[in-house]
Amino acid sequence: MAEEQKMKQLSRFWIWALSSIAFRLILISFPGNLNLSSRPEVSTPLTSIRRLAEGYWLKQASMSPYAGSMYHGSPLLLSVLGPLTVQRIKGQPSHLLCSLVFVIADILSAMLLRAIGQKLQMAYGLNARLLGFLKSSRDKVILPCGDIAALVYLWNPFTIVSCVGLSTSPIENLAVILALFGAVTRRVPLAAFGLVIATHLSLYPATLTIPIIFLLGYGLDAPPIKLFLQTRSVENEESSTSTVSKQAKLKQTTHLPFLWKTVAHFLFWVLLWSLYVLILCALSLNKYGGLEEMFKRTYGFILSIEDLSPNIGVFWYFFAEVFDFFRNFFLIVFHVNILFMLLPLAIRLKHRPCFLAFIYLAISSILKSYPSVGDSALYLSLWALFVNELLDMKFSFFLFCGYLGISLLSPVMHNLWIWRGTGNANFYFGNAIGYACFQIVFVVESVSAMLNHDRALKRSNSNHREVKS
Amino acid sequence: MAAVNRDNEEEVKTDDGSPKIKPRPIVRLGIFLIAHSPVFSVVFSAAGVLALLLLPLLAKNTYISENALMPGSARSMLSNRDVSDGSKLVKDIKNFRLNHEGQGVEVQKLIGKYMSDMGAEFSYQKFHPEGNQFHPLHFFSGPDSYTLLENVSCASYGVNVAGIIRAPRGDGKESIVLVTPYDFINGGDYEDLSLGIVSSLFSLLSRVTWLSKDIIWLVADSRYGDYRPVAAWLTEYHSPSFKVSDLLKCDEQNTADNFRRAGTMAAALVLKVDGRSEKFEDTLSIFAEASNGQMPNLDLINVVNYLAVHRQGFYVKVEKVVSLLSSSWLKIFGEIFEAVGKLAHMLNPDWNFGIPAADYLEGSATLASSLYSQALGIPTGPHGAFRDYQVDAITLKVSPRFPPDSKTRQHDFFLRGARLLEGTIRSVNNLLEKFHQSFFLYMLTSPSKFISVGVYMIAFALLVAPLPMVAASLYIDGCKSLTNSTHNPTENFKSWKWLDAAKQVFTLHLLGFIVTLLPYFICQVPGQHSPTNRSIMWGTTSSSLLLITFVTMPGCSPFSSRLHGTNWAILKSVTISAAFIGLCLMSIINFATAEIGALLLVPTCLMAQPIKPALRSRRLKSLLGAFCSIVLLTIGFPVMFFAISKGLLGEGLVGLSLGGEFWTWLESLWAWKSATYLYIGMVHLPCWLLCLCILFHPS
Repeated sequence: MAEEQKMKQLSRFWIWALSSIAFRLILISFPGNLNLSSRPEVSTPLTSIRRLAEGYWLKQASMSPYAGSMYHGSPLLLSVLGPLTVQRIKGQPSHLLCSLVFVIADILSAMLLRAIGQKLQMAYGLNARLLGFLKSSRDKVILPCGDIAALVYLWNPFTIVSCVGLSTSPIENLAVILALFGAVTRRVPLAAFGLVIATHLSLYPATLTIPIIFLLGYGLDAPPIKLFLQTRSVENEESSTSTVSKQAKLKQTTHLPFLWKTVAHFLFWVLLWSLYVLILCALSLNKYGGLEEMFKRTYGFILSIEDLSPNIGVFWYFFAEVFDFFRNFFLIVFHVNILFMLLPLAIRLKHRPCFLAFIYLAISSILKSYPSVGDSALYLSLWALFVNELLDMKFSFFLFCGYLGISLLSPVMHNLWIWRGTGNANFYFGNAIGYACFQIVFVVESVSAMLNHDRALKRSNSNHREVKS
Repeated sequence: MAAVNRDNEEEVKTDDGSPKIKPRPIVRLGIFLIAHSPVFSVVFSAAGVLALLLLPLLAKNTYISENALMPGSARSMLSNRDVSDGSKLVKDIKNFRLNHEGQGVEVQKLIGKYMSDMGAEFSYQKFHPEGNQFHPLHFFSGPDSYTLLENVSCASYGVNVAGIIRAPRGDGKESIVLVTPYDFINGGDYEDLSLGIVSSLFSLLSRVTWLSKDIIWLVADSRYGDYRPVAAWLTEYHSPSFKVSDLLKCDEQNTADNFRRAGTMAAALVLKVDGRSEKFEDTLSIFAEASNGQMPNLDLINVVNYLAVHRQGFYVKVEKVVSLLSSSWLKIFGEIFEAVGKLAHMLNPDWNFGIPAADYLEGSATLASSLYSQALGIPTGPHGAFRDYQVDAITLKVSPRFPPDSKTRQHDFFLRGARLLEGTIRSVNNLLEKFHQSFFLYMLTSPSKFISVGVYMIAFALLVAPLPMVAASLYIDGCKSLTNSTHNPTENFKSWKWLDAAKQVFTLHLLGFIVTLLPYFICQVPGQHSPTNRSIMWGTTSSSLLLITFVTMPGCSPFSSRLHGTNWAILKSVTISAAFIGLCLMSIINFATAEIGALLLVPTCLMAQPIKPALRSRRLKSLLGAFCSIVLLTIGFPVMFFAISKGLLGEGLVGLSLGGEFWTWLESLWAWKSATYLYIGMVHLPCWLLCLCILFHPS
């Protein structure tokens, strides 16, 4: 019976996944009508394929791809995607091959997410059983969070739009998910590779180093260690021996064992991969100013916010207004915002490294210099990995309506400002502020729901103990 | 232990919503509003309607916001010589037409020759009369998405004539456009007069020294309507197509390579002379609404109004709904407001908000017309084509008080008309930037009174304010009833119960989207069909789609068993949220549509309730509620509303022809790319269907 249901669920998953791919392919075949690639919500100066094509053209013409402040991405991406931008198949829309690459990247990301989710689901079930909530499998339904996350990723309008709209964010997202996948499945070189590539492509995933180290050092997401110790002490008093075998691995101390060796291994691989990537970059930019030019034009461009064209973030408006002699000061203030959050969150959520990674990605998507909807797509699907824990999240409907309203409002406001000329920059910026607010509420509610979940575990655990004693 | 206590307290607070710890005042206010949502929704909706009725009272006098304009500060330089030039052109055209019957191109050559005699550059432009085609994806794309028609016939095409005076003081980067629609084949005497006015002015402008913006005079060939020639000329001006059109081969005249351009357009004035004035003075009507309720900058209207009233003595008017002037209930409102205003003035002499009842009537009739034409989203004249390129433009329709053949009055009329245009052009000529100082979002209640966006938005905000409140209260109710019914507090996805309802709402909105796109495919059906047939095709496909949805997705149907059906309170809450988002979006795209739509949709959504429990209980109150919701739903059906509004306007329409009429009306909407069409299909219709689902909900 259960097997049958499982099979049914599986087939349903594949139907939905395949239909999402079919949907993407249909949208891709619309020539030029959707015009998504020119939307500021979809393509930023960093991820736009048109800029990439320009960079490739410059390089073909034996010029630096960074000449003229058009292209600001990685030189490696240029070598991989560049040839595809010029290849045309007759009778087909241009950039068809690039779109296919993005579709494949999306599929891969979804599959990796599914694998991560399955791991997390197993860990969740195991922990619940260890804590004694889950006597039988029918007691509480564990949602298949991997399938859900994969489907959320595949069917999220944000993902679809950034895939069809030819921004390179599907590839950036793939690198981030690859890093997480490597860490969850303890494939250290893979995790290091993903992290290095993701950082190379868009800098902000560098913050993920902390969660990945936690993942490799402490293991997967679990309730706080104190709970296990309490449970164990109760059971010791009863001198039951049924489940002790697994817990025997836990040490008596209140600290988890930290696997220094794996982490050192990881750091070594990170070093290796970064060297490798840097050497490749240096080779490809040999004649055009080398690595220094690359760092200046990619990371420098991200950090100094040179392009003030409107996007869904909050930086462009501020730095368009700010006086030049304050500019450096505010640049530091704005970027330190992200760094400020890292440490407190890492301390509070160190027992849930995957969740920590989700929070870091969400925060960097709010405070990024050139955010796009592709970043939101990534953190929203990571969020779906924790459906079991976050079932009691408050304001879910409110947040859903907010995201929906804002994402519909944004093109309207842009139209009002740019095309009709009856609005002004404040209209679009107001929308961006609204978007940032909803994201903040989303992050805050997720964290508080997760902490509440831990508290609920603790409480029911203590109730459990009282009943027993 | 203390931590545990704190946690318990927090848990209590979140579980049943009644806080033990005192929450912040804003949260308490929110909870208070949600708890008393029925009362507040009645109060807010009533206040919204009242605020709409009060709008004519709140109108402010217009003022010139941009200082550089300085209207009327320079003495007019127009002399009798210029006017006699204009009269000569009119006479020539009349004579020519008498001699050569039906030779349009020759008239254009005459005008072209006149322009070149004045020292202006001139060019002809051929265009094809049909250009508006419904394409579902082109709704919000820019104006350059006109597709060049392949294999056009030479049988019907129009020729525009455009003359350009280069400004002696300008750098050729800016221009002002004057448009006179003129039917070259069978133009009447009144149309000749408009040519006369502009040619008098053109004669002056060709020799003045103060001009810093180029002047373009476009004589648009209005054989195929006023709008299309102007739009075709603007498309050619802004985004020339480099493909050689077949039209060029039609005539020996080569019009391809001499299309003349000046700089970006600062403003455009369309002049029409039309009919005889009923008033003692010459009448000037101003038309300003462009597509999707966009308006030109208020300063442009102000300048024209100021010069027309204070310098040239025209009687200026804006269009109004005449039938409202005699409506008795509006009169009663006007009198009440007048009495209240007087009372307030007695209490405190500083309170001067009262206006006479007659003014109120005039104001509301004008406002109603303004709302109507904005809501329709169809431009009221050729000026609409300019708005697509962010050029401020208005149409001036002048009605002289004399018959068109009276020579003596004509001279005076030309003098005043040309002086009005000269003054306006001189003001715009002074501008250093685009029009930006004054309002873009406003409604007129008279030529010199306006309501700005900040005021009229209040009426809308009050009207839709109940929606989020009621949605929240229903959501809380629905969650509570769910937790009660399942009796399983350990396994409650109570935070996520809305997903089922959201699925239903989403499905019906998707259906609405498909129904909106259907006419595109129905138009592709080969063969000639009457509008009635097409509307029947549309209706049957839509309803069969609806049936298929209900059958294949049992969660969506209102007639499904209880097992599948979602809780109606949550369904209503999600519906209301969807309606709220849709209305708010629409209020930014086109305020007037959203306002009228909200008047319909808000009561329907708020009143919708399952009819079965009401019938079972047999209590008067619930029966009355059910009756109201049925009536509102009947009115809310778009076809029904169309029929009723037709009936109110005095056109009796019953039976099958109604479908045809409705189809034609919708066709006009999408031909003009009106967002109202999208609103009806993608917001109004799905929400209406959902309310229907709630009505027949088996709870």
